[in-house]
Amino acid sequence: MERYVFKRLCRGLITLWLTTLVVFMLLRITGNPVDFLATPGMSQADIESIKEAYGFNKPIYVQYLIFLKSVCTGDFGKSMRWAQRDALEMYMSRLPATVLLVGAALVFSMGLGLAFGVVSAMRPESIVDRVLKVLAITGQSMPAFWLGLLFILLFTVYLGWLPSAGGPDRVGLKGLIMPAVSLGWFLVAANTRLVRSSMLDALDSDYVKMVRAKGMPRRVVIWKHGLKNAALPIITLFAVNFALLLGGAVVTESIFAWPGIGRLLVESIFSRDYTVIQTVVFFSATIIVLINIVVDLCYAWLDPRVRLE
Amino acid sequence: MRQTAPESDSLVLQQVLTQPVQRAGWIRWFAELLRGAPKLSLLVLTVAVLCAIFAPELAPHDPVKGDLSRMLAPPSLSNHLLGTDHLGRDILSRLIYGARISVTVGFLAVFVSGALGSIIAVLSGLFKGWPDGVLMQITDGFMSLPFLMVAVTAISMLGPSMLNVIMVIGLLRWMSYARILRSEVLKISEMSYVRLAVVAGATRRRLIVRHVFPNLVNTLLIIATLELGTAVIFESALSFLGLGIPRPLSSLGTMLAEAQPYLYTAWWLPLYPGIAISLLVMSSNLTGDWLRDRFDPTRRQL
Repeated sequence: MERYVFKRLCRGLITLWLTTLVVFMLLRITGNPVDFLATPGMSQADIESIKEAYGFNKPIYVQYLIFLKSVCTGDFGKSMRWAQRDALEMYMSRLPATVLLVGAALVFSMGLGLAFGVVSAMRPESIVDRVLKVLAITGQSMPAFWLGLLFILLFTVYLGWLPSAGGPDRVGLKGLIMPAVSLGWFLVAANTRLVRSSMLDALDSDYVKMVRAKGMPRRVVIWKHGLKNAALPIITLFAVNFALLLGGAVVTESIFAWPGIGRLLVESIFSRDYTVIQTVVFFSATIIVLINIVVDLCYAWLDPRVRLE
Repeated sequence: MRQTAPESDSLVLQQVLTQPVQRAGWIRWFAELLRGAPKLSLLVLTVAVLCAIFAPELAPHDPVKGDLSRMLAPPSLSNHLLGTDHLGRDILSRLIYGARISVTVGFLAVFVSGALGSIIAVLSGLFKGWPDGVLMQITDGFMSLPFLMVAVTAISMLGPSMLNVIMVIGLLRWMSYARILRSEVLKISEMSYVRLAVVAGATRRRLIVRHVFPNLVNTLLIIATLELGTAVIFESALSFLGLGIPRPLSSLGTMLAEAQPYLYTAWWLPLYPGIAISLLVMSSNLTGDWLRDRFDPTRRQL
């Protein structure tokens, strides 16, 4: 196990380093940051002073080393728009709202996926299985932002049940329902599929047949013996879902005016706040890498076959 | 497409060929090809492609120029079938042009990511050893990026335009091709015909072009069809945020973004573009599912 942990951590470090490289290239090479920061009507001298202030006139590898330094210290500098605030501090102040939203969406999509998947696997090709399949396929095809608009139209405009905008401080948990469901809905299909197939595999195995032959009630066979053994692939789903949801949060937070990091990113892009953009993209990628490592370690801890490989 | 030809089929083929009317063979071949196909989905995709090609001929009104005296007109059978938006532009015409953008971006983005993904897969699968390790590590790295965040940032750096949207989606979504096709290449390179070709002195280039790549086409097409829907969703998501197709062009995502302030007054504004996106995505997903079951049943879990 120690050997596996060590190897996985090393690979995680390499992935993190690659992430710095990708984010750096994205921000410095795909576009010209000076153009991004310069406003129309700036004189040549002003542009030179921007280059000087942010080190864009240094050679590219020096810029990368500076970038790496700010990654290690976690300090990308002060926000350009809100000059008193550190970019990292702004990120941290917005993070809890996003964690709440993504967490709720994760619970929703995995819970529903699990329930749908198990019910489908109990009677494959039955009517219930088919209805759930159609429901899942429909959900997968609806973009989260459209679903969000429809929810607002139905629950806010016509029924007046739920608030359409605001964060956890202003509208409380009631405001969490629509964003979380519209964000998590598109994953229900994929989760149902995976749970269904891994459940079918588990129910087909010899030990389940053995338990069944022993005369255990169907309920126990399915929920205890079946699901327990089908649960392993579902754990890896957690990491994949998390990455997708964190990205999807950008759109959902914009619709529901949810004060999380996705909205922070969009706001920073439109106010050309370069330091905050760097912080949001890099640290969000880091969170995903860390979650991946934790999930892999859990997986190896639960399933000895993985760490022997 | 890989086609098996059992005895009965060749008999049928012989009969057909000796028949005076040759058309029957075509129809039979076509019916066989479409066996179990989701016909509605194929129809939707065909309509979308036709809209993309003939948008100027099909659209009843100008999609960009509006008539301010008719703003926010509800759907009616007489003039504007699906109503007009806040600038008096005809929704149906904007939908047709929007389908044009979705289809173009979808196909080209899938082409870019498919090409990149298969190149990486073939290099990784054939060279094995350390190049394989490095390439798969890079693939893992890309997989753990929060896609939409990176895409939004990239577009803001490059500036919103159709080409940039295509490139960003294409260059950030190749990982599933690389992963799946690599395992396929590993399997193929163990096949006896590839080994025999090596023994016969085939060059590496010949191996790739003649023996490995043709056997990847099936899987490649299946992933591409499934990814088409994702690309359409991402294009409209970027446009929704105002970082995709620049206005006043009518991307389906832009139309939804413009509908948001009018939710209280005009229900038809958010309804139709969303239906169009969902239909397009659902059709490509179902077609992809069918292709997979039909031509590569071993990959049902994809």
